[in-house]
Amino acid sequence: MKKTVDFIIRHAVLLILAVIWLIPIVWLVVTSFSGYRGINTSHFFPETWSLNNYRALFLEPDSVVQYSAWFKNTFIIAIFTCIISTIFVLMVSYTMSCMRFKGRKALMSFGIILNMFPGVLSMIAVYFVMKSIGLTNSHLGMIIVYSAASGLGYLITKGFMDTISVSLREAARLEGASEATIFMRIIIPLSKPIIVYTVINSFLVPWGDFVLAKLMLNSGISTDWTIAIGLYNMLNKSLVNKYFSIFCAGGVIVSIPISILFVLMQKFYVEGVTGGSVKG
Amino acid sequence: MKNFFKSIGNYFKEFATAIAKGDIGVKLSLVIMGAGYAARKQIINGIIMTLLEAVFVVMCVFYAAPNLAKFGTLGTVQFEQKFDPLTMTSTVNDYDNSFLILLNSIIALFIILAFILVYIGNIKTVYRLQLRKEAGKHINTFAEDVKSLFNQKFNITLLTLPCLGIILMNIIPILVLIAVAFTNYDQQHMPPNALFTWVGFKNFKQLFTNSTTVTFGYAFGKVLVWTLVWAFFATFTTFIGGILMAQFVNSKNTKLPKLWRTLFMVAIAVPQFVTLLLVRNFFGDSGIVNTICSNIGLTDFLKSIGLVGSHLTYIPFLTNPNWTKVMIILINIWVGVPYQMLIATGVLMNIPVDQLESARIDGANKFQIFWKITMPYILFIMGPSLITDFVKNINNFNVIYLLTQDVYVTSDQLLANSNAKEVDLLVTWLFRLTNEYYNYKIASVIGILVFIICAAFTLVTFTQMIKGNREEDFQ
Repeated sequence: MKKTVDFIIRHAVLLILAVIWLIPIVWLVVTSFSGYRGINTSHFFPETWSLNNYRALFLEPDSVVQYSAWFKNTFIIAIFTCIISTIFVLMVSYTMSCMRFKGRKALMSFGIILNMFPGVLSMIAVYFVMKSIGLTNSHLGMIIVYSAASGLGYLITKGFMDTISVSLREAARLEGASEATIFMRIIIPLSKPIIVYTVINSFLVPWGDFVLAKLMLNSGISTDWTIAIGLYNMLNKSLVNKYFSIFCAGGVIVSIPISILFVLMQKFYVEGVTGGSVKG
Repeated sequence: MKNFFKSIGNYFKEFATAIAKGDIGVKLSLVIMGAGYAARKQIINGIIMTLLEAVFVVMCVFYAAPNLAKFGTLGTVQFEQKFDPLTMTSTVNDYDNSFLILLNSIIALFIILAFILVYIGNIKTVYRLQLRKEAGKHINTFAEDVKSLFNQKFNITLLTLPCLGIILMNIIPILVLIAVAFTNYDQQHMPPNALFTWVGFKNFKQLFTNSTTVTFGYAFGKVLVWTLVWAFFATFTTFIGGILMAQFVNSKNTKLPKLWRTLFMVAIAVPQFVTLLLVRNFFGDSGIVNTICSNIGLTDFLKSIGLVGSHLTYIPFLTNPNWTKVMIILINIWVGVPYQMLIATGVLMNIPVDQLESARIDGANKFQIFWKITMPYILFIMGPSLITDFVKNINNFNVIYLLTQDVYVTSDQLLANSNAKEVDLLVTWLFRLTNEYYNYKIASVIGILVFIICAAFTLVTFTQMIKGNREEDFQ
């Protein structure tokens, strides 16, 4: 008897928690199908249903909604950021994990300290550096900003490479392989899982970033924007009553690929935060 | 620390020996960097080094010198535009741009420093070559040198680009930020139309003073206190919430733990800016939550117990300072707990089962086991990340900015004078000061102070992390 009560209470609590966590998401989805363009303040579910918001998003671009252009911009920036970041991270991790040279420890400590200083602070200076070389309002500039300092995020990948057996490298060296060969032929193929993590992680950065993009892409031309700024702009006081449900539709569309990627990499997320001390 | 000074001492000692004991080739390298290589028949190395030196000299003359010469004053020639009525064109004089002078000077100083390091390293290498020659050892050809960049010296090849990126996008901006804090760069002194110059510690003083016109001291105190309160609550509520939720979901009495986990995961898989902007409208003054609350009579009830001002017809979720602060922390729990649950789940799965088992046999109850075994274990694994989280929350720009920007208006005149709000963190205040009011000097000072606060916490984490002699506690 006691067990059944415990069972019911336990699952009732879980259900309530799940509802709390899902309400905003459900609201996002149902509002995206709303026939009314503004914020529905009296009912949770829309009174009329339609697909017009999605049509407006893709087929009827105007001065405010340029969703396809934003998606393309964000995608291009994300692809290049992802390639450069991954290469940088792999390069630094290999050096720190597999090679021994003077100043390695000092460099690592310096990197850890530097990485803990948050980006928001030096952001304004980054903006000026980019402005003085004329790279604001350009995709190239965004790619540089997102990926240039990515080498600092090497810790997780290094931790992974540390677990690859030394004897493999030693054997290769006896066979006459150079460091470059060991890096390309042995370590990289063995690091596949962590490379997947790095790739997804760096790919997600431009999709979620709001601050840097707002600062860097300030020309006011909506076709230049990334998704985050574009969607934010729709909630402007003067626009929100005409674009709120389109914002929801845009939010749903951008969430689909991102949630899939997020679920794929969540396994490594835990390891990343706990510094690899959990071997799951 | 002692080792550090010792290695610096050694560095210069080697340099001195190289100069003292080097032959004519080494000594000639002091002037023409390639000479030492040429003397050992490494012609291509010699040419590269000499070219590098030449490029550096040219850079000094045309880039570093003109900028560094103005570094002391940050420019003296004011921007002037003359309109010529005859040709209908306007001409601009050869003005100084204070910001570019500052930026270029810092970059130039960096290049000069790097060159000095290369220069000293060059002399040492050349001397080493001489020693090899004297000992009758093999001296690498150019092809062999290149090859070594992919073998013994592969680290140099790998690290060059990432380091350049870090210097350009991380170190130089931080140095610029620090420099701007000592200038009067603000809306009245905006290049290219106006000049700015060094003012010493004036901005730091301004941030700590209070007068009828300047209220930065007041605003700074308020914002700092809220930043720390927020960081504390944001870190601990999500941490404890995450652990409890993980315990709850993963308990063996729970059916379908995977399904529940996935449900909570959906909430964080949606990009943060979407959910936060959505929630902001959800809780708006005329938003849906307010409609529901007033329909079920909650608004009137809160009015009657004095939690909502009597002149209001809605609950000021995101417009009243106290309500907003509580709401922000609650919404942050919503955002942050699933992440912590994810991590805690991973940690809990690896908890040493035999310890739990033996505690149970000894008659410990659920709560004793949780507080005496599970919690210490979790704290051991997640302790360092807790401190990093605290630092991250001090700078948690997204949650605060996306929830309150354009919605929250401060009614405190003293705060408004400094462009601050009750719910601002130091970083959002800094962002508004620069992005909307162009007050770069004060923003930089705030930046430096946040830097110091974070550095203090970072140092704690760092010493904890490298102490690491407790690794075997749980093995």
